[in-house]
Amino acid sequence: MGNEALIMNNVCKDFKVLNRHEGLKGSIKDLFSRDYKTVSAVKDVSMTVERGEIIGYLGPNGAGKSTTIKMMTGVLEPTSGEILVNGKEPYRNRTQNCENIGVVFGQRSQLWWSLPLIESFKLLRDLYMVPQKDYEEMIELYRSLVDIEPILHKPVRQMSLGQRTLSDILAAFLHNPAIVFLDEPTIGLDVSMKDKIRALIRGLNKEKNTTVILTTHDMGDVDALCRRIVIIDHGQKIYDNDIEHLKSYFGSYRTLKLKLADNTWEEMLIDEKTTDVMDVIMEKQKEKKITDIKILEISTEDVIKKIYEGGTR
Amino acid sequence: MNPKRLLALTRGGIMESLHYRLGIFVTLFANLIYLVLVYYLWKAIYDSSGTDVVNGMTFSDTMIYLILATALFNFLEMFVVWDMSRAIQSGKIVLDLLKPMSFRKYTFWSYTGNHVVQFVLTFIPTFIVVMIVTGGAIRMGLNLLWFIIATVFALVINYNIEMLIAPICLYTESTWGINIVKETIVLLLSGASIPLAFFPEKARIVVEYLPFRAVYDIPLSILLEKSGSDTCEGLLKLFGLQLIWLVILTVAGNIFWKIAVRRITVNGG
Repeated sequence: MGNEALIMNNVCKDFKVLNRHEGLKGSIKDLFSRDYKTVSAVKDVSMTVERGEIIGYLGPNGAGKSTTIKMMTGVLEPTSGEILVNGKEPYRNRTQNCENIGVVFGQRSQLWWSLPLIESFKLLRDLYMVPQKDYEEMIELYRSLVDIEPILHKPVRQMSLGQRTLSDILAAFLHNPAIVFLDEPTIGLDVSMKDKIRALIRGLNKEKNTTVILTTHDMGDVDALCRRIVIIDHGQKIYDNDIEHLKSYFGSYRTLKLKLADNTWEEMLIDEKTTDVMDVIMEKQKEKKITDIKILEISTEDVIKKIYEGGTR
Repeated sequence: MNPKRLLALTRGGIMESLHYRLGIFVTLFANLIYLVLVYYLWKAIYDSSGTDVVNGMTFSDTMIYLILATALFNFLEMFVVWDMSRAIQSGKIVLDLLKPMSFRKYTFWSYTGNHVVQFVLTFIPTFIVVMIVTGGAIRMGLNLLWFIIATVFALVINYNIEMLIAPICLYTESTWGINIVKETIVLLLSGASIPLAFFPEKARIVVEYLPFRAVYDIPLSILLEKSGSDTCEGLLKLFGLQLIWLVILTVAGNIFWKIAVRRITVNGG
């Protein structure tokens, strides 16, 4: 086994969907219809993830992120292409593969609903056959990273969303998997909880050298955790590189903010490759009096937004 | 298969079931109402028949059989079909598929804890009450041991029937109707609502060889030493029938699940 935690080679996934017809008549027709259409959710995606990396896997809603994650975890089988997780094809030996991965779906919990968290931990310990010593070490590590005492003996159903997400992340790392998939882990959480969860993920990644595949819509997660991001849209990979490169991906954009005499701020996005910032300021000054100037780096969020809105090449 | 995993799941199941203690009392109470209904129904049937023995069963035979069948039903009842269709619709099934053991085993052992709790809290009390009320109509001998073995078989058979129905929701994405049909068929043909002795002769011969009987009628017959289970040969025949169905249904369930799981298209995301 090399140093790659995950390899994807030309992976495609098609779904067969029934063509539904309109109205009551259509619904009855659908009962017997054999009229299927093929929808390509993922088209020819290849990537390699090294051990210990945290990858931000981004894309607009419906881009094929979850489908890819499900293929990586072995729940879905790719229509064509090859996936290797820890050197093995996940969909061929799902059960075996599961021993070495951890999964968190931000909107669902794998914990035992009515039991205190500690009981879920013990169940997972036995399910994954974690030696007692390793288990205790892991709990110790958790203690050093987050304050788990208040939630350890609380039934999961009584937890706040933040506490539950935190618990789910801890549960996913409990058997020290080589790779952990986090599907929108910070969805619906408040700012301070997001911070805690990011710190926890970073800490666990550092301590255990766990590879993390993170999908999210929150660029704060990406900025805080990922060095490299992969973006897919319409099932195709459109970007795979460092975050720094992203900002210069289609020109060096900057945000120019001008404060006018009437105390209002005017904002514009400028591509430094095609337009000179100074020219813009001069131009503006001819029209109105400028009292203050700010030039800002474009935020990751703005770049991603531009990509999602179709500004690629 | 490592027994530690299975025990851990059973233990978790016991704790979860006990958590919903109110539910257990409600079940007991609902049973009571149901049994009052059954009592008067069969009392009317016996009163109108004009004889004390109908189809070889006295009124108290029938009552003992039906009371224990109800208790057994509560204890063996599984919600695999419900739970699975809900899990599929919500997409939660992904998490169950991502457990480090086969889905079928994982699901089965997730339910065993509940069975243990139901056995102790509904079947045993019912059994004791029946014993006290009838003044010891059930013989306390080896038949108890055979009954427990038959019940374990029944449990596995019942699970496999459920697992043959549940994956249908992967195709239809809704199982409400199918589940109702299944419950009705099982309740009727297993002897849980009407003792098999009351079936018309021709129907009875067919029903006696169907798997549903192996779930309720066989364990009860063995406990009450009916259907020839008081002889060694009769006992072997009943166990044999259970075993055959157990193997057939396990294999069929396995195959169907393997085919069905390939179709999984998880909703959402």
